[in-house]
Amino acid sequence: MTDASVLGATKPAPVETEALTLMLGDRVLLDRATLRVERGQVLAITGGAGSGKTALLGALAGRLPAGVDMAGSARIDGHLLIAQGGRLAPRRPLALQVAEVVGHHLGLDLRSSLRRMADGLDRMGVPAAARRFDLPPEQLPEQLRWACLFAMAVAVGPAVLLADAPAAGLDPTVRLRLLHRLADWARADGVALVLAGRPEDGLAGPADRVLALRRARLLPPSPARTEPLAPLEQPGAARLHARGVGMSYPLAPGPRGEARSLAVLHGIDLDVRTGETLALLGETGSAKATLARSLLCLPPPTAGAVVWMGRDLMAASAPPAAADGRGDGRGDDPDRGGLRRARRDLQPLFPDPAASFDPAMTLGAQFGLVLESLRPDIAADRRDHRIDEALEEAGLRPEAALRWPSALSVAEAAHAGLARAILSEPRVLIADEPASSLSAEERETFLDTLMAVRDRRRLSLVLATERYDEGLRDAHRGVVMLAGRVVESADAGTLRTAPLHPYSRAMLAAAQGERPALEGDAPSAFAQPAGCPLRRRCPLAREFCAQAVPTLEEVAPGHHVACHYWDTPTDG
Amino acid sequence: MAEYDQPPLSHPVPPDTPRAGFARGLSGAAILAALALACAAAPLMADGSAVHRLDADPVAAALLDGRGSLSFALLAAVLGGLLGIGWALLAGMLGTLTGSRAERRTIAAAQRMAGWPLALLVPLAGGLMGPVWLLALVTALTAAPAVATLAHAELSGLMRAEFLTAARAAGLAEGEVVRRHLIPNLARPLLAAGVLALPRVLAAESFASLLGLGLPPALGSWGASVGLAARLGDPVAFVPPALLLALALWAACAIADGMAAGQRKP
Ligand code: SF4
Repeated sequence: MTDASVLGATKPAPVETEALTLMLGDRVLLDRATLRVERGQVLAITGGAGSGKTALLGALAGRLPAGVDMAGSARIDGHLLIAQGGRLAPRRPLALQVAEVVGHHLGLDLRSSLRRMADGLDRMGVPAAARRFDLPPEQLPEQLRWACLFAMAVAVGPAVLLADAPAAGLDPTVRLRLLHRLADWARADGVALVLAGRPEDGLAGPADRVLALRRARLLPPSPARTEPLAPLEQPGAARLHARGVGMSYPLAPGPRGEARSLAVLHGIDLDVRTGETLALLGETGSAKATLARSLLCLPPPTAGAVVWMGRDLMAASAPPAAADGRGDGRGDDPDRGGLRRARRDLQPLFPDPAASFDPAMTLGAQFGLVLESLRPDIAADRRDHRIDEALEEAGLRPEAALRWPSALSVAEAAHAGLARAILSEPRVLIADEPASSLSAEERETFLDTLMAVRDRRRLSLVLATERYDEGLRDAHRGVVMLAGRVVESADAGTLRTAPLHPYSRAMLAAAQGERPALEGDAPSAFAQPAGCPLRRRCPLAREFCAQAVPTLEEVAPGHHVACHYWDTPTDG
Repeated sequence: MAEYDQPPLSHPVPPDTPRAGFARGLSGAAILAALALACAAAPLMADGSAVHRLDADPVAAALLDGRGSLSFALLAAVLGGLLGIGWALLAGMLGTLTGSRAERRTIAAAQRMAGWPLALLVPLAGGLMGPVWLLALVTALTAAPAVATLAHAELSGLMRAEFLTAARAAGLAEGEVVRRHLIPNLARPLLAAGVLALPRVLAAESFASLLGLGLPPALGSWGASVGLAARLGDPVAFVPPALLLALALWAACAIADGMAAGQRKP
């Protein structure tokens, strides 16, 4: 065949498989896949949990996971596998581990290994000040550990690098920056790079080619939904108001016995209108979850006011005698200050739905309690009917009421959480990363269900998420948060096309798989820089940014930005 | 190009052993129950009422001793478990009523005391004090700090559980939250913490009795018999109580481990 002769003439690619089939027991993980990755090519393989990505990488690396059988052929040049989660020993100094791996592969001593490693860290954009090789990985921030792992791969310089779920768990802007740097290195040095991860990890951005592992086949990925399911309705009047909401946690007293506290949320103003969907966008440390909980007064914020339909919830949730009346009869007044009425109207969705159910009760029993507490107007014999309705509306079968929380899968728990939230016929759902524990398809199903429920009941929805595009897709309005402050708020369309704040732009870029224009890593809550919290990472930062925290100003009707230099072009 | 593969040493993955303690705990419980039954039935083996201990069959004598050891251990363990759990609950209550300072102090005291060699108090008390119940109380006190530490860790973990927040979101008053959600979920971990007292009191009592400063001779104790046999240099009298004591200690430890392992999230 002419094809074969052409192939034979060219140099073989570093990764080639021929009808590679993987079986786990009698389940087919991968069905006759033929794959070829050239030098300097970046391939992303995406797939949900349990779709067989890890087995595929294992097969390529010649280390099949236990119980997986392989047929067909896979040929690979000198490779290095970064396993899921990094797999560094948590308590040994990083330098030793790195030297071991680099030394093992290249036969170098500690000094030269570390020198190569330092080059690698340069290419990963880790500043020299942040290099603390003598610390064990468990004391290093997650982002630095991943940067070190990637740098280690760079130092070893294999012909093929296989990375399983690289940089998973990092914030999108940080993750995309690292992945882009890794891809740059692969292209520059002619390394075949195979990245495997969940579809929502944004691996597609830096890759040259994307394949989705679905139903045992490697196919081009199907694009995610980008438009709302149904056209969004116009929201009504504002009902839920937050004014100057702040939250600070007490710390251990300082050296001279003075009281100290850590403020994580700084005077947020927010209005939620009826039927409106508001996306709270932010990454780790943005305090979006704290804000979501403050809106529910669970726990009540330490400053400001939350008002629902003209009723101050904070006054209602503070018992008359003490700030915190746990454990005694004080809290037993059935409708203290209308709080219970407000609880009926404002319902939460939790980030870890499985943990939000009492393990010692069946779902039905817990739902019954909720109804008993929030809907005393529903007669006891009607409760079961109501529970069945809610379960069905949330996409579960009524029999689920008989099940124990530990017997639910993660996805079922998420849907059950939704069912519980709509039991009391609320007006507002406040969801804090409700789908973060779900993988790709489950996630889409859950969000679709959530939106359908919202539309059917004309609910207001506050959706806190770190996924910029996904959060804005179904929202009217978006609020971008950074370090406990709102940095930009605008309608969803504006935020999706032309955000002004550098941080929003970075989040948008990360969501689209592009390289976010932010350098360095997010500072910890205990070491926030003075002035603008973004200034150490911001491409526009100037002297003045260190002196004053920028305040929100209205730059167009309904569009607020908190940045001193939002009107400066990025490349200026 | 050189052949790359993963180096053998640098990436050790800790093996996860889910519920490994469970089977051990179960066998521990079975063994302890069998021991208790055998000890209870021992008088039937020794013919008649009056048992002349030293010239009796050594196995029967050891089983008779077990009655003293085991019943004392049970009494002291119940006392110690209750004390420790009460300590933890007190700390938790202080925490909710007056702030986290008092709670931290109360439990820090327990943590510090759990590190002290409190078991040394038991022979002291045995030497100085007469009544058995006082000795039981002191033995219980030596085990209580460890129980309190574990119970408090469980308690404060549970107090932060998300489902309590969910219950508050459902408008349940605090009293209701405690009654309907906290208490049903607290029973098991507290029991697990309480069981921790059993191996400790058994060891402390045996140690004291070994020195001859533990239970009064009339009651009988494995520790005392082992000590006596050692002093007399009598291997036949030494082996049965020593073996039974070791077995009982292992079983008690296994139960405590098993309970704690079952408690931890998989
Ligand atoms: S205020 Fe300064 S540092 Fe902050 S985002 Fe604007 S330009 Fe960047």
